[in-house]
This record gives sequence, C-alpha cells and structure tokens, in this order.
Amino acid sequence: MLARLGKVWLGLILVFLYAPILVMAAMSFNASPYYQLPFEFTVEWYEKLSENRGILRAAARSVGIAMVTTVIATVLGTAASLALFRYEFRGKAVLRVLLFPPIAIPWLITGTAMLVFFFGIGLGRGTPAVIVGHVALALPYVIVVVTARLATFDPTLEEAARVLGAGGWTVTRRVTLPWIAPGIIAGALFAFAISFDQFVVSYFLSEPGDSTLPVVIYTAIRKGFTPEINAVSTLIIVVSMAVMLVAARFSNFGGER
Amino acid sequence: MARVSVEGIVKRYGTVAALDEVSLDFEDGGLFALLGPSGSGKTTLLRAIAGFVFPDRGRIRIGDQPVERVPVEKRDIGMMFQNYALFPNMSVADNVGFGLRVRKVGAAEERRRVGEALELVQLEGFGGRKPHELSGGQRQRVALARAIVTNPRVLLLDEPLSALDKALRVDMQFELRRIQREIGITTILVTHDQEEALTLSDRIGILRDGRLVQAGPPREVYNAPADLFAATFLGEANILPGGGAGIVVPEGVAPGAVLAVRPEAIAMTRTEPEGAGLSKCVGVLERRVFAGAMATCLVRREDGGEMKVVSRDQDIPAGLTEGDRLWLSWPVDKTLAIPPEG
Amino acid sequence: MAGGTAISGARAGLIALLSPAYLWLTAAIFLPLSAMLFFSLVTELPFGGAEWAFTLENYRAFFETPTYATLLWKSVRLGLIVTVVCLLVGFPCAYVLAKAIRGRAREALFLLVILPFWSNSLVRIFSWAIVLRGNGVLDLGLNALLPFEVDVSLMFTTHAIVIGLVHSYLPYVILTSYLALQAIDDNLIDAARSMGAGKPTILWRLVLPLSLPGLVAGAVLIFVPVVGAFMEPRILGGRVGTYYGTVIEDQFVAVYNWPLGAALSFILLAVVLFILAVASPMLKRAQA
Repeated sequence: MLARLGKVWLGLILVFLYAPILVMAAMSFNASPYYQLPFEFTVEWYEKLSENRGILRAAARSVGIAMVTTVIATVLGTAASLALFRYEFRGKAVLRVLLFPPIAIPWLITGTAMLVFFFGIGLGRGTPAVIVGHVALALPYVIVVVTARLATFDPTLEEAARVLGAGGWTVTRRVTLPWIAPGIIAGALFAFAISFDQFVVSYFLSEPGDSTLPVVIYTAIRKGFTPEINAVSTLIIVVSMAVMLVAARFSNFGGER
Repeated sequence: MARVSVEGIVKRYGTVAALDEVSLDFEDGGLFALLGPSGSGKTTLLRAIAGFVFPDRGRIRIGDQPVERVPVEKRDIGMMFQNYALFPNMSVADNVGFGLRVRKVGAAEERRRVGEALELVQLEGFGGRKPHELSGGQRQRVALARAIVTNPRVLLLDEPLSALDKALRVDMQFELRRIQREIGITTILVTHDQEEALTLSDRIGILRDGRLVQAGPPREVYNAPADLFAATFLGEANILPGGGAGIVVPEGVAPGAVLAVRPEAIAMTRTEPEGAGLSKCVGVLERRVFAGAMATCLVRREDGGEMKVVSRDQDIPAGLTEGDRLWLSWPVDKTLAIPPEG
Repeated sequence: MAGGTAISGARAGLIALLSPAYLWLTAAIFLPLSAMLFFSLVTELPFGGAEWAFTLENYRAFFETPTYATLLWKSVRLGLIVTVVCLLVGFPCAYVLAKAIRGRAREALFLLVILPFWSNSLVRIFSWAIVLRGNGVLDLGLNALLPFEVDVSLMFTTHAIVIGLVHSYLPYVILTSYLALQAIDDNLIDAARSMGAGKPTILWRLVLPLSLPGLVAGAVLIFVPVVGAFMEPRILGGRVGTYYGTVIEDQFVAVYNWPLGAALSFILLAVVLFILAVASPMLKRAQA
C-alpha cells in the first residue's frame, strides 16, 4: 500500500520534471507564434531557425568552446588524477579540498570574480576568457570522475609492468590508461555538458555580439518569447541529455554493475 | 642468472625501522624463502631488491652490479605478485609477451618465446584467453610465465600461492619447484607460510621486526634455531623446565640456554621407557585431537607445564584416553638448546 | 610498506602531472576571488589611469542602504523555501527509488530522475515560462478539464520562481539522499523489525539519522546556488523578481558599478562560506 503510494509519488515527480520540457518541445512544432491551442503541426520554426545566422553562429561557437574545454579539462584533469592516485605527499588532502570551491561557490560569484580579474590582467571578455572559465568549472568534475575510476585500479598492475621493464610513459599508456578509459570518456562528456550548458559564467565573460548559445537565448527571452527559441531550446535539451546518457553508461553513475 | 646480495640495508618509515641492518646472500640458482610474521620486513626486503623501495643505507647487488639507485624497470628481474597483477585488458599471450615487447625483440621472436613459456607452465593453447576467463591456478601459471619469459637475472615471488586453496597450493608448490630447477633461476620467495618455505626452498631466512634472525638450510634452522622466536615461528616447540627429574641436559649447552623439544620428536608410552640417551617425564593426557593420519595430544606435566605431542595415530598406545597417566620421552639429541636472548 | 614506492625524479613527475590543473584553477578561480576582494575595497576601477583609493565605502553602502540587506534576506528566505520544498518532495522519492524498486527498473528510473539535472538550466526555466504564462498551457489545460473558469496566472509571481527553482534543484536532493539511503544495509532495517519496531519508528530512529549526511549535502547544494540565483527570478519573476543576485548582475551588466558589485558578491561569498563551514562536518560524513 505504502509502496504503491510511493511509486505514484515517483511518477508525479517524473511528470513534474519532464512535462514542461515536453510542452516546450511540443510548442516548437505548433503553428501559432503565440502558443495558441489547438495544436497545429509545423516545422516552420525549425526552418526559421536554420536561417537565423545569429543563433547558428552562437551555436557553432558554443560547440567549439565546449570541444576546446573538453580537450583541455580532460587532459589536465586526467593528469592531476593520476598524480593524486600515484603519489603520497604532504598537502594532498588540501589539494582535494581545493576542487570544491569551483563546484560549491555559486557561479554568479565565480563569474563576476573572473570578469573583474580578467579585466585587471588585460584578458578582458571574449571567447578566450570564456574557455578559461569553462575549463576551471569542468576540471573538478573530470578529476572526481577519473579518480573514482582509478579507485578501482590495482596499483600492483603498474608495478608488474615496471618489473617487466616498462618505463613511466609505457606503463601509463599500456596499462593504466586502458583501464581508466571509461572514466576518462565519462569525464570528457561531463566537461562537454558543463561547458555546453553553462550560462552564468559565459554571460559575464562573453563579448556582446560574440556570445554563446545560452547567452543569446537569455537575451532573446528577455525581449519576448518566440517559437524559434522553443525550437533551439528543444535541440539543446536533446543534445545535452544524449551526451549525459552516454556519459552515464561510461561512468556507471548510480548503477550497481 | 645471477647471485644477489644485500649488505647492511636500512629502511626507515618515520621512526619505525622496516629493515634494520639486514645482510644476506642469495646463491646463484638457489631458491631462498624469506619468512616472518606480517610487519617483519620480509616484503620490504623483497621490494628493495625489486627496486620499489630505495633503502636509506646499504648495498644491493644483482650479479656484480650495485643496483640501489637503479629504477625497477632497468633491473632486469622477474616478479610474481600476490594477486598475480595480470593486465585485465590484455590476452594471456599479450600479458606474457609484455616484457618482450618492451624490449623490442620482434614479433616472431616474441611469439616463439611466449609459446615456450606457456608450454613450460603447461598452458599451451591458452594464449588467446583473457585473464578473467582463467581459474586461479591458471592465472598463477600465467603470472609465472610472464615473470620468467624475459630470462631475468632473478625471480622474486611475493606470497605467490597464498590466494590458492590448499590442495591446489600443494600441487603448485611442486610445479614451482620443478620449473625453478628446470631453468635454474635465482629465486627469492616471500611467505608467511612456514610449510611452504620448508617444502620449496634450499635456504630460508627468518625476519622479525626488520632484523634477520637466522638464515640457513631449512633442516639446519629447524634443528638448531637461533633463538626462541625462530624455534616457535618455524614449527612448534615445547619449552622444557631447566632440567628436572628425567630431563637430560645435552652436553655443551651454554648456561642460560632454554631447552625445548619438537612435538613430533616425543613418544608416548604407558610405562617408563627403557634405554640410554632418553629424556623423559610423566604427565596426564588432557586432550586428544584426531586429524587424519596424525593426532595431536595435549599432556599436562607433573610440574604443571603443558606439552604438545604430534604422533601417528597407530603410534599412540591402544586405548589411551583423556585423563590417563603416561610417559613422554625423546632422544637427548633431539632436545633443542636455544641460546639465551640478546 | 606499499607506500614506500620511490622513484628517482618522482617529485618531477608529480609536479608535471599536477601543476597544470592547479595552476589553471588558481588563475581562473582563486586569483579572481582574491582580486574581487581587492576590487571591493577601492573607489574606482584602477584601469586606464583612473584615480583610485582604498575605501570601505562599498561595504558601508551595504550596511547603510537597507535595500541590500532586505534583498539578501529575501534571497536567503527564497533559498530556505526552495530547500525545504526540495527535501520534502525529494526524500520520499529517493526512498522509493532506493528501497522499493529493484534491478534494472531502479537503474533506469534513477537515470531518468537525475538526467534533467545535467541538461541546460536556462532552457528548463524557459520551459516553465511557456507552461505558466497567462493563457499558457497550464491555464488552458485546467480550464479544459474543470467545469468552472479559473485564472491560474502564476507567471511573474514568487510561486513561479519557487516552482522553477525546485524543478532546477530537485535532482540534487534526490541524488544525495539516494546515495545515502542505498548505503544503509537492509539487514539493519530487518534487525529493527525483528525487535518489534514499527515503520514510523524505523523511519524516524534509523533511516533518517543514517541518511542525514546525504540530506544535509543535498540541502547545501540547493541552498547555496539559490541564494545567488538571478536568471530564474528574471525570467519567471518579472517585476517581483528583484533579488540579491539580480542586483549583483545589474552592477556588472547594467549599472557598471563594479566595486559595489564586487563588495555585494563578496558578502554573498561570506554567507556561502558560513553555510559551508556550518555544514562541513556533515558533508565530510556524506563523502565517506
């Protein structure tokens, strides 16, 4: 009885989580520009979207920034994870704690602080500043995910490889990396999602007229809603959910396999 | 193949000395077992020879080459790990061939030598399998093949059989001994299992708290332990009162020495045994534990001390039951005279 | 013994692997936060040869203008409301997931619950604007179902903001509670039942205390960003959507009073750090 009530509750929460997204997606296929019902199917807004150069440019920029962020954050994060895994040294605990400020401090604070600092050192606003910010936000996630995978790695495998004559890089490439590859892939996908979905930090760090997709959407929303925004938002949701589904497969997130 | 020697090596972790002035020679082609309780330093010593631990002081030589500062991968050794440490992402053949590929011997040569090594450990045809598809014993053989395929100068074994169940372990002990003899490689084995050490090795070394207590052939160490620890760690020993009625002190025993006798050296009789050169005493049988071919008896001596006797079942006087009075006797030359501590 | 691995040049390897990531974090997180403290203490931005001096004026503005304190309190209250709603809604959901559903179904449902958490929050807030606006989908849907006319114009109200924020942050509390609940050995619950404990007792005396670290972690993860929220109130709140976060946003993108913005940000950071410090013993347990 109680269990059934609980399952109903879970169902209601899923409705709450997904209904607005589905409504938004449906409205992107509705003919009325003012979201009037009854529903009339059209792909007009997607056609309009494909001609909207501002949004397309912003989308391309978002994807480009996300890819650069992914590469940098994954390489640096994996290296740091290996160091934290392999070596015992003083201050290790402190270094682990230092991963939390980028996660725990509201992005409003980090974003504005970056803006002020980057102006101070002459970097200013624009795509390079956005990438610097995104990498910093994604790094801790990559390190956490890769470290979690490394925790399942048997360090005697590295010792065995060294006994057999393999040097540092050979050990890493032939033994360690193959084992933690799923963690690295998951970390990379997390990094991509964080950058691609990032709004707050991009908002403060992008040059007007040279912004990422979420910033362009935010500016557009504040001027008024249009079905074109529905269309692009629907596409974004689909992309980021797909990325996360793949990431979840690799990172074994929440599963007990 | 090479002889290995360590000379006065010291390794400290903080204030704890994991190795404290240990010197040992490992003969070329011999099988040497390092024995001791956990924390005795035996693993640290093995890892120092391997190169995972750099000693604070002292010399390590493999052949004539001092290696204290040589990193692991340049030492040309083979090592088998307690959990085998087979690379899970590689096939059996790739695991065994890993060291050859690092040495860039070429594909044909690698295939040939991997095949030979797998044949030696009786795993022909297993090259394509993944480690998780093998049984414990098979993994152990793969690990051994991988350790010897590069013809290393020395083979280091870290508790190599401890993950196997008893029946398999005994099989593998013989197998290991056969292969080691066949290729004649200097082998150093770490174990906490005294039976394994006695079965396998030409020489053993007993460590305690980072110090070498005694080294020598197993029979010698067993029959003449250097101290009480060696006597009780390698086999069991009944400590005898300092010469009572019937207990003969062997000649030439240093003053202050502790007398002891191994449980299996003692004979039990209902009547006083006759004959020269016997030590004897009287006791009451407290408990008799049947364990297959052998039986263990606990006997309370008249002076209150307890004696353990291990004997074949048929050698125990017929009808002997708990509470019976009996005589214990053993040849005087089986009495161990253990030098005083310090 | 295993810890004694020493290689020549180990230190160099360690530094080579570790320093790029931490230098990056220093340049992009820690130096900016320190710079912000500096900027909050000056009269003018020291760029382009402008005259500047150290001052506490920006902090005095916070304490002398009641608006800022009022808005900070308004934001904190919003944070508390959203956190409590998320806990009340999310914990039972996590409980059902962790204890009432098994196997592949659980895995799939869990993924479904936390998936939105990794999708674009701006877009999700926007989707609520579509649903909640006057004459919006909710309005039309309810009026089609109900026999009488209702006017559910939730858009541009505090309710809309709370709904949007709960939608954004609910997965956090479900995630942390689920992980905490999953770690509770079912044998403990069976043991309690064998001693005659009823369901309420088990929940109150056993399950809640054991999952408390997870609950606290979830609460902190929600409360901290909500206090600094500005995009959500802007989109869903309209004119009632002025909060502490939106005032900071204005200082940086509209008013261009960066020193004041920096001071306000820093006060928010102080609040956040205080919350984290208070919760840290619990958070450490949640990590373990």
